[in-house]
Amino acid sequence: MKDTVIEVLKGHFGDDKEINESSHMMDDLGGDEFDILDVIVQVESKLGISIPEEETFEVRTVSELLEVVGRHVQSD
Amino acid sequence: MFSQIKLVFFFIMLMGAGGGLWYVQHLKSENEILTLNNAKLEGAVAEQQALIEQQLRDIETQQSINKQLTENNVKLTADLELANEKFNKVNASGERRDIGNLAVSKPKSIEKIERKREQQRARCFEIAQGSPLTEEELNATKKSQINAECTNIANPNYIPY
Repeated sequence: MKDTVIEVLKGHFGDDKEINESSHMMDDLGGDEFDILDVIVQVESKLGISIPEEETFEVRTVSELLEVVGRHVQSD
Repeated sequence: MFSQIKLVFFFIMLMGAGGGLWYVQHLKSENEILTLNNAKLEGAVAEQQALIEQQLRDIETQQSINKQLTENNVKLTADLELANEKFNKVNASGERRDIGNLAVSKPKSIEKIERKREQQRARCFEIAQGSPLTEEELNATKKSQINAECTNIANPNYIPY
């Protein structure tokens, strides 16, 4: 699951970006709110899961994304 | 006979003295009027000079405001171009952002983002009209802290990623 998320992030923000769990998708990767939303949609599609929107409103870092996605990968 | 001539001379001298006295009095009166008029004119000149100085200060203020508005206009135009780019952003894989598709998949999130952007746009108008920047706006150095709608005027200390 983590590999898929990192793969989506690299595909979206670029291979040249150093992406780790503490990376902030806006401050470190240069994205905006639409980028974060786009990444979440791509992750959902790749993993075949559906995350309620309310859970993603505050997602800004990779670790927060992994946490939210992790909850649904386990439960779905 | 001689005393009559003396009397005539006396009256002539008296009339001359009287005429001279009247003339001096008249000159004094004229002089007072002229002095008063002069004082009024000097007062009017001082008022005019004060008015001219005030007008010059007003012109300087207007020029300063005009310069500020022109600078803001340039910055806002740059921000507008950036805003337009946001809707056509291409990611690292070469895929163009599809806001419409995102809005279908995540309507609440898009609404939340747009509500925030709307508030930021309103703040942009306030700043453009002269509202001073807040500490938070001045201290914003990270992308997550900035006003994304008019960064150039709202967050002078932010260096774009």
